[in-house]
Amino acid sequence: MARVVMENVSKFFGTVQAVKDFNLTVEDKEFAILVGPSGCGKSTALRMIAGLEEPTTGTISIGDRLVNDLPPKDRDIAMVFQEYALYPHMSVYKNMAFGLKLRKFPKQEIDQRVREAAEILGIQDFLDRKPKQLSGGQRQRVAVGRAIVRKPAVFLFDEPLSNLDAKLRVQMRAELSKLHDRLQTTMIYVTHDQVEAMTMGTKIVVMKDGVIQQVGPPLEVYNYPVNLFVAGFIGSPVMNFVPCRILSQEGRLLIDAGSFQLLIPEKRIPSYHPLVHSEAIFGIRPKDIYDRAFAPEHLKENSVRSVIDVIEPLGSEIHLNVTAGQHNLVAVVDVQTTYRVHQEIEIVFDLDRMHLFEKDPPNLRIKAEG
Amino acid sequence: MSRGNLLISAILWSVVALFVIYPLSFLMIESFKIAGTDRYGLQNYIDFFKDPYYLKTFGNTLLLGVLVLATTTLVGLPLAYILARYRLKGKVLFTALILLPIVLPAYAGAFALIVLFGKMGTINLLLMDWGLISKPINFVFGLHGLVFIQALHLLPFIVLSISAGFTNIDPSLEEAAEVEGASGWKRFLTVTLPLTSPNYLAGAVIVFLWPFTDWLTPLIFGQQDYLPSIAYINIAYHFTDMHRKYMGIVSVVISSLICVGIFLASKTWVEKKKYTALSKGTTLEGRIIETGLFTKVWAYAYMLFIAVFVLLIPIVLGLSAFSRRWVLQPFPSYWTLDNFRLIFLETPILLKNSFVFSAVALLFGVTFGLPAAYLITRTKVPGKDTLDFVITLMLAFPGIAVGVSYLLAFWEGIPLATHWIIMPLSLFIRRLPYFLRMAHASYLQLDVSLEEASEVSGAGKFKTFINISLPLLLKGVFVGLVMFFIMAFQEISTAIFLYRGGWETLPIGIYLNWHRGMEFGIAGAMAFLMIVIIFVLLLIVARIGGGILGAAWGSSGGKY
Repeated sequence: MARVVMENVSKFFGTVQAVKDFNLTVEDKEFAILVGPSGCGKSTALRMIAGLEEPTTGTISIGDRLVNDLPPKDRDIAMVFQEYALYPHMSVYKNMAFGLKLRKFPKQEIDQRVREAAEILGIQDFLDRKPKQLSGGQRQRVAVGRAIVRKPAVFLFDEPLSNLDAKLRVQMRAELSKLHDRLQTTMIYVTHDQVEAMTMGTKIVVMKDGVIQQVGPPLEVYNYPVNLFVAGFIGSPVMNFVPCRILSQEGRLLIDAGSFQLLIPEKRIPSYHPLVHSEAIFGIRPKDIYDRAFAPEHLKENSVRSVIDVIEPLGSEIHLNVTAGQHNLVAVVDVQTTYRVHQEIEIVFDLDRMHLFEKDPPNLRIKAEG
Repeated sequence: MSRGNLLISAILWSVVALFVIYPLSFLMIESFKIAGTDRYGLQNYIDFFKDPYYLKTFGNTLLLGVLVLATTTLVGLPLAYILARYRLKGKVLFTALILLPIVLPAYAGAFALIVLFGKMGTINLLLMDWGLISKPINFVFGLHGLVFIQALHLLPFIVLSISAGFTNIDPSLEEAAEVEGASGWKRFLTVTLPLTSPNYLAGAVIVFLWPFTDWLTPLIFGQQDYLPSIAYINIAYHFTDMHRKYMGIVSVVISSLICVGIFLASKTWVEKKKYTALSKGTTLEGRIIETGLFTKVWAYAYMLFIAVFVLLIPIVLGLSAFSRRWVLQPFPSYWTLDNFRLIFLETPILLKNSFVFSAVALLFGVTFGLPAAYLITRTKVPGKDTLDFVITLMLAFPGIAVGVSYLLAFWEGIPLATHWIIMPLSLFIRRLPYFLRMAHASYLQLDVSLEEASEVSGAGKFKTFINISLPLLLKGVFVGLVMFFIMAFQEISTAIFLYRGGWETLPIGIYLNWHRGMEFGIAGAMAFLMIVIIFVLLLIVARIGGGILGAAWGSSGGKY
């Protein structure tokens, strides 16, 4: 049990800076997820915690210990690798027992721990097999098993689910969450999949180009993204962005998107007022766009004419790609009617859930009440 | 199943039947013939194993194999680790140097060593001049010399196979071990080394079997009590003594059986143990270690030490090539181009033969190898796996077995041995797997869908081959061609049995000049010339094939 603190950590590979001025505290028992597009430095950050890479500057501590100069084996961590890294010449049992054997645990204790872990993961029947004889999902479980027998202070996961097929991934996601609940140990998990980040983590760390963009609980990051990048990265389908200009008219504020105008809710006027006459980026999640015919009554004032380009029926919901003026938008609508391509529909927006971002990088979100 | 494929298969099979299966079976059957009669039986084998001399020879060969393997492993393991793991400047150069012996003929190295370390060689003379010793030390004549020269020659096979193993290990496996708590030596012993074992075995087999195929080096060192050497002497010099002739044939068959047996056993074992398939290998380079100053110095010193020995070979040969009467003096004192005048002007036939035979063998190789590679990788013709197997088996057969079997099989009945074509033909058959493997590897890298796309757009199979496959295969094929040529060029084990007056090649010239009373200057000049030619060809390969390393590695297979 331990908290992990990284202070002012940076990492250079030659002249390339992979991680920049990294400050992060992962509390004890937290399930922290480092998420970002490939090449954002998340794996490097994790490998520095593991001791597989040395930070160029800064300090890393696990529990009360500064671990900068400790080799991986002395950091009291266990790691699950992307390609599982199961030793192909050892049986499943030996793979799991390896770390304990090195630490000279008594045979009985090793056996007990391995069997216990195998039972939790449902791999009791494979203990004598070689990794080659296992399926992807089973290998994944063995890799996790090898980590949990050690009962380390911190678990590190480096994209452990990326090699599994979609169905298995969903299943393992749930199992890892359960495992965290059961073990009550600090876990740090790296992924490029924002769905994994949203569903598993108690804390999300969104990274881009080696820099932390935002740290927070999943819903906070989803509802209050600090900038355009986070807004676009977290959430699926991706948030709609429309370049616009803010206008003031008869005491109200308007979003002028060229081909359509939207009336900003009154309670947001104080927050957005400084932007009047300037350009900004309007953001709205697909979930917050409605077919006017089925929209709640109070939303019906901001109606925009659009044409359906693509229909993606997912069963429980429908994704509509529509064109409104010169803008392409995605809307997630309920399965209440049948749509046709090229059909004209009126869409409305739930502007209580809208976002405004500054036009220029770093495209910060304008904080708003309500 | 297209009829064309069947036709190709039929033609290839007839070539294999006539030039591989027929002569080798002939040799096999001949070994059971009871001398002076028309009957067959086990008598020859019983005689062989009852005769303490042949038993001793057999034991010597085994012992030599074990010692050479042990030496190369001990010396090669650290070297492989350095080359595979340390980030060092000039590593490529050192690698190329250290690997050079792979393409140099073993006998050339043996000559150089005698000049340097022989009883009246440079080192002994210098030591005596300085008064450090009063009588010459026997550095090389005997088992220890053989171990030394063969280990030097075979070191690259071990180094290449182990370092390939080190490089192929998925870095995350070692990282996992590190996180689990295995550091330094422990990690090396529990994870790295076991994972390297299949690669090691592949190299170890080549090394261990070498003494069962190399007849010439022991003879150069004044030893004949080794299986291939005594086989050569018995067959080449005592063919009128029926007993010795048949003992020779039995020796050849036993050597071949041991080679083929161990080769197949190791192949099966390696297939079963292959680990690389499991880990997907995240980087091309494998794990690279930044080293401290102390390790760096140590690593350079070690590489230098071995590189010096390797470099001695061309240097000594070069010195002797440009000199005359380098006898009883530590360094030559009379410089001349006379040796080259002899080679180029008086006996140009040797060079001409070497080039002509190798080129014709090459032509056979292409004509056979490309269709064979196509058949094996791209079709489902029945029997293609067997064809692949038979051809691959030729890797294991000692050259001496090919030579003797051709001599026996193509003398009467099919009297090919009286025509010069037997020379390139035997070279081609001996290096058969070699070109095939190159073409094969290129074919595997060529995406089938490219060919399929061409066929879908309306090109027939042949047009697809000419327009799509061949241009894309060209690089691999060309590298294969040059390496094939290098291997054919320095071949002696087969040719020595088959040549007649006027068919001598450069390697045979080297052997004869040494054999007829130590015309070392000429032999040295010929060997030097050969090294230069091989080196130029290698540079070409490196230019095209991306690095001398890959070029040399490609040659590993067909070297017996």
